[in-house]
Amino acid sequence: MTEVMAHRDTPDSEPTTRTLLRRVLDTADPRTPRLPRSARAGSPSLHSSQRRRSLRSAQRTLLETPSSRRLSSQTKTTARQCSYGANAIGKWSHVQASRHLEEQTPRTLLKNILLTAPESSVVMPESVVKPEPAPQLVQPSRQESSRGSLELQLPELEPPITLAPGLLALGRRKQKLRLSVFQQGMDQELALSQEPRGNADASSLTSSLNLTFATPLQPQSVQRPGLARKPPSRRPVDVGAFLQDLQDTSLALAPLGLGKPAQPLVERAEEVNALDMGFPNINSSVSGEGGVKPLEDRVGEEAEERMEEGLSISEMKEATGVQRSAKAEEHEGHTEVQEAEGSQGAIEAMEPEGSSGDEDTSGGTATPELASNTPEFLQARRLHQFLEPTPPPSAADLCSEPLGPLSARLPPRARTIGPRPHKDPYKAGLSHYVKLFSFCAKMPMEKKTLEMVEKCMDKYFQHLCDDLEVFAAHAGRKTVKPEDLELLMRRQGLVTDQVSLYVLVERHLPLEYRQLLIPCAFSGNSVFPAR
Amino acid sequence: MEGETDEEQQRFSYQQRLKAAVHYTVGRLCEEVAADKEMQFSKQTIAAISEVTFRQCENFAKDLEMFARHAKRSTINTEDVKLLARRSNSLLKHITEKNEEIAQFNLERKAKKKKKLEDSREPPDAGVEESKN
Repeated sequence: MTEVMAHRDTPDSEPTTRTLLRRVLDTADPRTPRLPRSARAGSPSLHSSQRRRSLRSAQRTLLETPSSRRLSSQTKTTARQCSYGANAIGKWSHVQASRHLEEQTPRTLLKNILLTAPESSVVMPESVVKPEPAPQLVQPSRQESSRGSLELQLPELEPPITLAPGLLALGRRKQKLRLSVFQQGMDQELALSQEPRGNADASSLTSSLNLTFATPLQPQSVQRPGLARKPPSRRPVDVGAFLQDLQDTSLALAPLGLGKPAQPLVERAEEVNALDMGFPNINSSVSGEGGVKPLEDRVGEEAEERMEEGLSISEMKEATGVQRSAKAEEHEGHTEVQEAEGSQGAIEAMEPEGSSGDEDTSGGTATPELASNTPEFLQARRLHQFLEPTPPPSAADLCSEPLGPLSARLPPRARTIGPRPHKDPYKAGLSHYVKLFSFCAKMPMEKKTLEMVEKCMDKYFQHLCDDLEVFAAHAGRKTVKPEDLELLMRRQGLVTDQVSLYVLVERHLPLEYRQLLIPCAFSGNSVFPAR
Repeated sequence: MEGETDEEQQRFSYQQRLKAAVHYTVGRLCEEVAADKEMQFSKQTIAAISEVTFRQCENFAKDLEMFARHAKRSTINTEDVKLLARRSNSLLKHITEKNEEIAQFNLERKAKKKKKLEDSREPPDAGVEESKN
């Protein structure tokens, strides 16, 4: 083991999966007696499930360890390997034998992982090139012997070396192959894929055609497209719009003259803006972070989260062009989740408040025209959002009060709301309809289509409200009444001389509306005799 | 029963005549446009346009009646027409201008009439006075 460790330390400062797996293979081999394959051939199938399970966990830890390896947990890993090695002795002997069997064995998996893993260490690739031509001929024998005698650096490099050209070519596909390999190891139910795999192994050993190794794996992933897990397509948060709104409302808060809570926020926002304007570099993010942190200390926890998001996002937005790639990703990854829970929760929680406040302020507008309400609504919403989570730093009392109900409100909200809406909030209702539409279509739909649908619906509703307003004005009224709507429906052709409005109501609306809308439908149960 | 069919036939023939009139007018207009733009109109196009115009006229009539009834009137007004044409901005503007023109014209006519009346009243009065005198 010490030998393993020693020579592992020497070649590369960054140990790779390859070396780790190599180590694993090393540990297992010295203890396994070399028995003829035929003797071992019979046994693997019996304890396959048990082996799979334990080896699966072994694999998992093995694959996990590369990440933790850099933390100088080398002893840990080796210890783990030893423990697994003890379990794996008997299995791996079978494994080696059953390499050509249909069953997918961990050994073959690990070997494939080794083969497909790219040469990330600096030393390896150089020495890879040199001994390349030599061992190709001697591979089959080498393979067997190399397993036992991999203490030396040279022989250790050989098996991976032979496949180097193919590996370098496969480097790009490393991710996908690894995943598919891993998942296949997890499933262990493929009878079909075993054969090409076994053949691939054999062929890879004998021939120098590393491509043959690659190709069988490809069709496997194709055969099971569901297994090849795509990385979760996370849309980056539309920070630009959010920041714009932030700035607009933060600047708008001052003229509104709302009092204390607004102003510290405005000051803070201006601070941040000043910071960003002053340092249009990557450094600004650092200084911005420094600026954010003292703010954090002042404010309470949940407010802190949101403010941090808001400010970090605002600073991100300002210096977007320069540092987007570097810092933004960090922040985004960090704030995405938080946003989803925090700000979204705040927004959603404030929406009913905002809307109620809005109704009070906007007064009796005859027509429910969204366009006119939106700026007020937005402001009211932002107002509430910033009022509650941003208590003035001086008054700690105020801190507790808004945070109390807010924190109570946030956790349930955080769970219900997932991704943040990427559009304005007044389009939230439209997105709901668009989702309904995509559901009713029963077919997969492109995003462009959905956007188009949303645009059309927006225009449709705008037209609708305009018409209603005009109809009401035409009748010399200021309030929209059902007659106006009936006129509209008539124009639309829904209500005709044959089909009256009441018929439509009966047909399409739930029964409760019928008694509401049709005056005589529920008026009297006793019809006969008329009294 | 026969009377009904007869009526229907009459109405139908009436409709056909109207359609023919529309078709003729459309043809003339298309000729003008063709001369203007130096493009030819095929017969099918003209027929299609005239058919569409006719149907649209029917729709307009129904809508106008609905609008008038909605405003609790029994006569169709220029307001109803404006409401009908509100979708197309240019058309609405045109109609409004025409409406104003007509209104102005009416006013002028009214003023003239009043003047005439007054004049006609005055001369007889003047005549009476003169005669008296």
